[in-house]
This record gives sequence, C-alpha cells and structure tokens, in this order.
Amino acid sequence: MVLLSAPRWLRSRLTDRFWRVQDVLKYARHFRGRKNRCYKLAVGSVRRAFLKSTRARREKKRFLRALWITRIEAASLEHGLKYPAFISNLAKSQVELNRKVLADLAIYEPKTFKSLAALAQRRRQEGFLAALGDGKEPEGIFSRIVHQY
Amino acid sequence: VARTSLTSPPWPEVKLPDPVEEAKYHAEVVQKVNKMIAAGQYGRLFAVVHFASKQWKITSEDLIMMDNVLEAECGDRIRMEKVLLVGADDFTLIGRPLLGKDLVRVEATVIEKTESWPKINMRFWKRHNYQRKIIIRNPQTVLRINTIEIFPCLS
Repeated sequence: MVLLSAPRWLRSRLTDRFWRVQDVLKYARHFRGRKNRCYKLAVGSVRRAFLKSTRARREKKRFLRALWITRIEAASLEHGLKYPAFISNLAKSQVELNRKVLADLAIYEPKTFKSLAALAQRRRQEGFLAALGDGKEPEGIFSRIVHQY
Repeated sequence: VARTSLTSPPWPEVKLPDPVEEAKYHAEVVQKVNKMIAAGQYGRLFAVVHFASKQWKITSEDLIMMDNVLEAECGDRIRMEKVLLVGADDFTLIGRPLLGKDLVRVEATVIEKTESWPKINMRFWKRHNYQRKIIIRNPQTVLRINTIEIFPCLS
C-alpha cells in the first residue's frame, strides 16, 4: 500500500543557514583573531565596525576641516600673517575660496598663496586706516583732559 | 592732549603707497600680463572651479568625480562657468569672487556615470533590541577636464 501523504515530523527546517552566516563573516574576513572565523564573535565585531564607519563618515568632515585650517595657518605664518587675519581679510576682499582649495594652493602653488597673503595683508592695512578715521577729535565732546578743581 | 596707552592704536602705523603712482603701476602690470597671455607665454594652467557645490583645483587632463547625478549623457562636452581663480607659473588671476566668462574657458567631458560602492549605514541601541542596516549606493559622475583657456581681455 502506498502512503499518499508523507509523514511530516518536522514542519520547516532552515536550509540556508550557511549563507546567512557567510553574509556576516564576509565583512569580518580581514579582522584579527578568532572574530574573523567564528560567527558568534564576528557578529558583535561586524556590528561595531558598521557603527564606527557611520560615525566616522560624519566626523571625517570635521577632521579634514581642522587639518586644512592647520595647513593654511602654517602657510600664512610663513608669510607673516596669522590665520584669522588671513581668512577674514580674504573674505572682506570678496575672494570666496574655501579652506580645502586654500590648503591645496598652499601646498602645490606657493607663489599663488603668497599673492593671496599679500592681498590679505593689504586689505588688513586698509582696514586699519579706515578704522582710524580722520585723526580729528569728534565734535560735541569736550576735551579729554579731566580738570580736577 | 596727554599721551596715554590709548592715544595710538595697538597696531603698528602703516603708510599706504601713493594712489596715483599705484594706479600707474597696476596698469603697467595688467598690460604686461595681457601681453603675456596674448603671446601665449604660459605653461600649464590651473583653475579653481566651483562645481556641484564644491570647489575643485583642476588642470587639464584631470579626472573629477562628483557624488551626484549630472543631466548630461556620457561623452557630452560641458563648459564650467563659475571659475574663481586661474593661474600659471608667472601670474594668477584672482576672481572677486568669480572671473568673467569672456576671460576663462574650462571644458570638460562626461566619462562615466556609475554608482558608488555600497556604503553601510547602521544604527544600534544597546539593550533595546534596535538595529537597522541600510545599504546606500550614491550615483556618481566622472568628468575629464579637457582644456583651460584664457583670453587677453584684461583691463
């Protein structure tokens, strides 16, 4: 007699466990120690690696900007200007170069950077002269000397 | 008036050069640079271009990769218009903030349009059974800068 319905002792079995494990281990193959081979150790390491990479992608922007600023500061000090003076005077002269490009120019185009530093220096001096004004006393103020009577 | 610590400013006194003489000197320099450009006495030109909301320092035969889509087919020639700075070995032209379109011409060609490598974005809160993993592929465009040309129309 042929049994028409097969006995179902087991409802369903996981058949692709190997590939699920490989999905995690493939990101851990370059790690050090047992966490590149053993799934239990690899799960945590891979998760931490993903989190660190997402966080680092945000922090990379801050880090690179600080690096550019350091480089521009060093280059402008070679030409006798401090970084805040250099950047503010360049901005006041309507030169809209960002820090990345300024750092690249400071490394690869020293003559161009020197001319930008000279431009910033000249604008700084003009700013000082404008701040001093005419050199006359303002009206409506009596003399600065205070008489003690 | 008596001299105090505030009579003179804390910065050293500077004297600017005579404006008339300076204007003459400036005109001379501009004439010289114009002649140099007209005669073609420059080697390789570099330019700083504002493109795709970023600034790039480019020369000819340069490859540039943007992290977004460009509405141009592969092989299209593109002219980049926002040029901030152009320089050669002996002179630089600094734009305030941009240089004129009749002064510089930067041409580029679209080479390929691909997607970036699959970047993984993971969020995880410990002890809360919360983790999300998203794989992001950004569209990228690669351009090759063909030429940078300058024309002698300085004044």
